[in-house]
Amino acid sequence: MSLDKTLKKLSVRSPWLFRINAGSCNGCDVELATTACIPRYDVERFGCRYCGSPRHADVVLITGPLTTKVRDRVLRVWHEIPNPKITVAVGICPISGGVFREGYSIEGPIDRYLPVDVNVPGCPPRPQAILEGVVLARSIWLKKLGLEE
Amino acid sequence: MTDTLLAILHMAIFPGGIFALALGFFCKGLDRRVEARLQRRVGPPLIQPWLDTAKLLTKETMIPKTACRTAFLFAPVFGFTGMAVCAAFIPVPGVYSGLFNMGDLLVIFYLLPIPAMALMLGGSASSSPFGALGFSREMLLMLAYETPLLMVLLSVAMLVGKNLGAESSGAEFSLLKIVAWQQENGSLGINPAMIPALLAYLIFLPGTMGVAPFDIAEAETELLEGPLLEYGGPLLALFTVTSAFKTFVVLGLGIALFFPGTISSWWPVNLVWFVLKCLALMLLALTLVKSATGRFRIDQAFRFYVTIPVALALCSLVLVWMM
Repeated sequence: MSLDKTLKKLSVRSPWLFRINAGSCNGCDVELATTACIPRYDVERFGCRYCGSPRHADVVLITGPLTTKVRDRVLRVWHEIPNPKITVAVGICPISGGVFREGYSIEGPIDRYLPVDVNVPGCPPRPQAILEGVVLARSIWLKKLGLEE
Repeated sequence: MTDTLLAILHMAIFPGGIFALALGFFCKGLDRRVEARLQRRVGPPLIQPWLDTAKLLTKETMIPKTACRTAFLFAPVFGFTGMAVCAAFIPVPGVYSGLFNMGDLLVIFYLLPIPAMALMLGGSASSSPFGALGFSREMLLMLAYETPLLMVLLSVAMLVGKNLGAESSGAEFSLLKIVAWQQENGSLGINPAMIPALLAYLIFLPGTMGVAPFDIAEAETELLEGPLLEYGGPLLALFTVTSAFKTFVVLGLGIALFFPGTISSWWPVNLVWFVLKCLALMLLALTLVKSATGRFRIDQAFRFYVTIPVALALCSLVLVWMM
């Protein structure tokens, strides 16, 4: 196996998480940042690290239905993330709009603008479901790199 | 010619280069693992720092449009080079006595702040306001923790210089002689006059490594990693490697200054002993402190560093001077 391939295969064991709030009601954010990412659920055992800068991110978790006000900013931050990146939609809002669907200020669902790799539905989803989404993102990352698990 | 070749080998394989990287990354992996265990969770595998670096090498490099390109690209290389050279000056007691046997405390004192300066350079070149804030915090913190370090080095040098008497005048700054003197006359870490200096060095460690409670410059919750904000991919990997080298340098320097005793005349045993001492020092001064504390504000950290460790180091300095 070539060095490049080895590095790529090892790389998926270090997914660094980044969170974007696209106009969420904060329910999913509470479930994501202050429940799924705390020591009790130990997201670090998958090699994850919660990072503050989009430049360091690999797995980007998006919450919220993408409101008109926040749309351009979300897209801008999303484009700041270096490739390869995996997008995880957390909660029902980014997937379909949820209870805000067809509201006057809603631009979502989010896959009109961004390629979404993993959907984690729920209002809000359980922390275990979010962690499963992160683990699923790892296998999708491998596929994106052209390697099968 | 052979001297140059030997110096390059020392920087590339042992104790700099490969050995320092392996030990530094092992320290970082163990640090994360022990911290996880203290929080009653499993934690990442011990090879996690290697995995992170492999991941960063496969990522895309992005340079902000408004950044000063040359300085932005140069900063991580600058920090890496400084630490790679510095690692070759660190003696491994009983195995290796420092580059050309001239490992000098003052050279190390000048090389040590280079990674912090690289961070400052990269942060200000990135044109990000968070980078600029991180720059000013890093500079303040550096000013604060370099003072006690200099006083600790000075008290060690004065004590050894006084005891060597006729051979040297006043202070003795050669690491080789400091280590040799301690191997004959007992470690300085158990010398009552030097215990305040040892404490000051232990307090200096988390500040220079930028870990909690002194991770003020890279605070990811408020400054979004500060100077590292715009770095990603291979450039960030270079910063990680520099930090691993720095871990080796500051731990190795602590061992050389305070506990350079050997337990055998056979070098592999001494090498293992050195690694064990490094790990013990790291767990005590970095991991335990990190997992038990939050983060200081910059003004609190500055005030803390210019009072308590300076006072401790001053105690040692006065005790040594009166001896």
